[in-house]
Amino acid sequence: MSTPSIIKRSLRYRLAPGWSLVSLLLLVLAAVAVNSLFGKSNQIAMQYALVDLLIVVALQMFIGTSGVLSFGHVAFVAVGAWSVGLLTIDPTLKHALLPNLFPFLYDIHAPWVLAVFIGGIVGGLLAVIVAPALMRLNGLQAGIATFALLGLVNQVLTYWSSIGPESGQSMVGIPDVLNVWVTMLFAMGAIVVAWLFQRTRPARLLRAAREDGTAAAASGINVVTQRIITFTASGVIAGVAGGLFALTNRVVQASQLSIDLTFITLAMLVLGGMLSLSGAVVGTLVFALVDLLLVKLQAGVSIASHMVQIPQGTRPIVLGLILVLMLIFRSKGITGGREFVWPFRKNQLPGVPVSND
Amino acid sequence: MSQFIQSLVDALSAGAVLGLAALAIGLVFGVIRLANFATGEIITGAAYALVLTWDLGWYVAIPLSIVVAVILSLLMELAVFSRMRTAGPATLLIASFGVSFLLQRVYELIFGNNVRSAPVASNLSQSVDIAGIRLQLLSVTAIVLSAILLVLLQLFLTKTTLGLQLKAAAADFRTARLVGIPASRVIGLSFVLSGVLAAAVAFVLTTQSGAVGPTFGVRITVLALVGAVIGGIDKISGALAGGFLVGFASSMLETWLPQGAGNFRDAFVYVLVIVVLLLKPSGLLVRGRGAVRT
Repeated sequence: MSTPSIIKRSLRYRLAPGWSLVSLLLLVLAAVAVNSLFGKSNQIAMQYALVDLLIVVALQMFIGTSGVLSFGHVAFVAVGAWSVGLLTIDPTLKHALLPNLFPFLYDIHAPWVLAVFIGGIVGGLLAVIVAPALMRLNGLQAGIATFALLGLVNQVLTYWSSIGPESGQSMVGIPDVLNVWVTMLFAMGAIVVAWLFQRTRPARLLRAAREDGTAAAASGINVVTQRIITFTASGVIAGVAGGLFALTNRVVQASQLSIDLTFITLAMLVLGGMLSLSGAVVGTLVFALVDLLLVKLQAGVSIASHMVQIPQGTRPIVLGLILVLMLIFRSKGITGGREFVWPFRKNQLPGVPVSND
Repeated sequence: MSQFIQSLVDALSAGAVLGLAALAIGLVFGVIRLANFATGEIITGAAYALVLTWDLGWYVAIPLSIVVAVILSLLMELAVFSRMRTAGPATLLIASFGVSFLLQRVYELIFGNNVRSAPVASNLSQSVDIAGIRLQLLSVTAIVLSAILLVLLQLFLTKTTLGLQLKAAAADFRTARLVGIPASRVIGLSFVLSGVLAAAVAFVLTTQSGAVGPTFGVRITVLALVGAVIGGIDKISGALAGGFLVGFASSMLETWLPQGAGNFRDAFVYVLVIVVLLLKPSGLLVRGRGAVRT
C-alpha cells in the first residue's frame, strides 16, 4: 500500500467520528429549520420534541453505554423541572401559589439560563446519591430498582408541599422565555457532550463491560465505578432536560413526569437504536415526525379533494404499535446500533463496537 | 387492640390480592423470563367485563371476566411475546411496557377516559362482627378467595401431569425441554393461569372500588412486579411471598403512618424495595446470593 493512501485512510478514521457528530447536528438543525417553515403550532411541537431529545440522549448515554436498563431517568427530569420552577417563578407569585414552601425557597431566584444549569446539577446530584446503590444491580433487578426510584421521586414531588405545590397540584407561573431555536442549541449541546463522553475512558471501559462483563472484570475494570460516573453524567443532562421542559410547558405537575414520559422516551430510543447516539437522535426525530403527522391526521387533512381523518385517540395507539413492532422485527432500531460515518459506509469505527445481543 | 386486628386483617387481604397479582407475573416469568407489565391491562380488561355486564347477573359477569382475561393473556403471548423468544428479560420488560401502554390507549378509545362503574358484589362491602371486632366482609372474602386459589393451584402443580410439567419448566426451562416437556403447551398454560389469577384480582379490586378506568390495573401491577422481584421472581413461591409482603407493608403503612405521612406510603414501599434489592438482588426467598439470571 502506498504511503499517501495510508495517510488518506488514517485521516478518514480520524475524521469519521467527527463526521458522525457533524451529521447529527446538521440533522437536528435541518429538522428545526424545515419545521419552522410551517407556522407557530408546529414550532411548539418541535420544542417539546427537542426537550424529549435531551432526555433520550441522556438515556442513550447510560443505557446504550452500560447495557443496563434504567426507568429512573425521568426522576432526574422531574427534579430538574422542579428546580427551574422554584428558581424562576416570580417571588410574589411564589408566596401566593406555593404557601407551604421552606422559607429559604422564597428567597432564591435565578435568571432562567442559570436555573436550567442548576436543574442539571440537581439532577446530577440525585443521580450521584442513588448511583452507588443502584449501579450494583443488573438486568431485571436494575430495571425494577430504577423504577422504584422513579416511583419514589414522583410520590415525594406529588405530596411534599414544602418543596412544591399542594398535593397533586401543579406549579404555574413559569416565565415564557424559551423559543425553539434556543432549545435547539441546548439539544445540540447535549449531543456534543454525549459525543465527547463516548470517547472518554469511563465510556470505553463501560462499553467493554457491556460486551463481556466477566472479561472486563478480569481485566481490572471496576464496572460499578464506571457506571456511577456515567449515570451521574446522564443525570445532569436529564436534569437540564427537565428545566427546559418546565420552561416549555410552563406548568409543572409530577404526574406529567412519570411513567408515560418514561415510556415515550424509551420508545424513541428503541425506535432509533439504543446502542448509538445516532439512534437516540434519529429515533426522537422520526418519532416526533410520525407524531406530528398523526396529530394532523386526527385533525383532518384534505388529500386530492378527499377529507382524510383518523379517529381521536388513534395517535398514542399507533405510537405504541410502532414500539412493539420495532422490538419484534428490528430490536436494534433504525440505525442498528451504528453511528453515521462519512462516507456513508457500513464500516464500524474503532472504539464504537456494535453489540450482537 | 381491635383496631390493630382490623388493620391486620385489611393488610392480610391487601397482601393476598397483591400476592395473587405477583403470582400471575411470576408464573409467566418462570417459564419465558418475561416480567409482564401488561398483566395490569389483563386485570383492567377483566374489570371492564365485570363492571359492564354486572347487570346481567354474577353468573354471567364472573365467568365472562375470566374468559376475557384468559383471551387477552393468550393474545399478548401469540401476537407479541412468542415472536421475541430470543430477547433478554430487559427487552421483554420494555416490550410488555409497550403492550401495556397500547392496551391502555385502546381501552381509552373504546370505553372513554371516564370511569365506568357498577355495584359489583355490593353485598360484600358491608362489615361483619366477629368476636366484637368489626371486619370488612370484602377483606375476609379476599383472604378466603386467595387461599382457595392457592390451594387449587398447588394441587394442580403437584398432582397433575400438566401442572408438574409447568412447575418443572418454571424451575429450569431448558432442562425441562430436554426431558421432553412440550414448550409451547407449557408456555400457553402459564399465560392461561396468569389470566385466571388476574381475573380474580380484578374481581376483588372492582368490588372495592366499584369503578374501572383505562389505567385501573397499573398501580397494583407496579407493586406486584416490584414485589415479585424482591421476593425472587425466579421461584413461584418467591414471587407470591414478595407480592404479599409489599401489599401487607403498604396497607400497614397506610393505617399506621402518622397523619400527613400516609400519602407517602408508596414512597416507603419503594425505599423498602431498593434496600431489599441491594441486600439480596436475586430475591428474599432465594438462598445465598444465587446466580442472578439476566
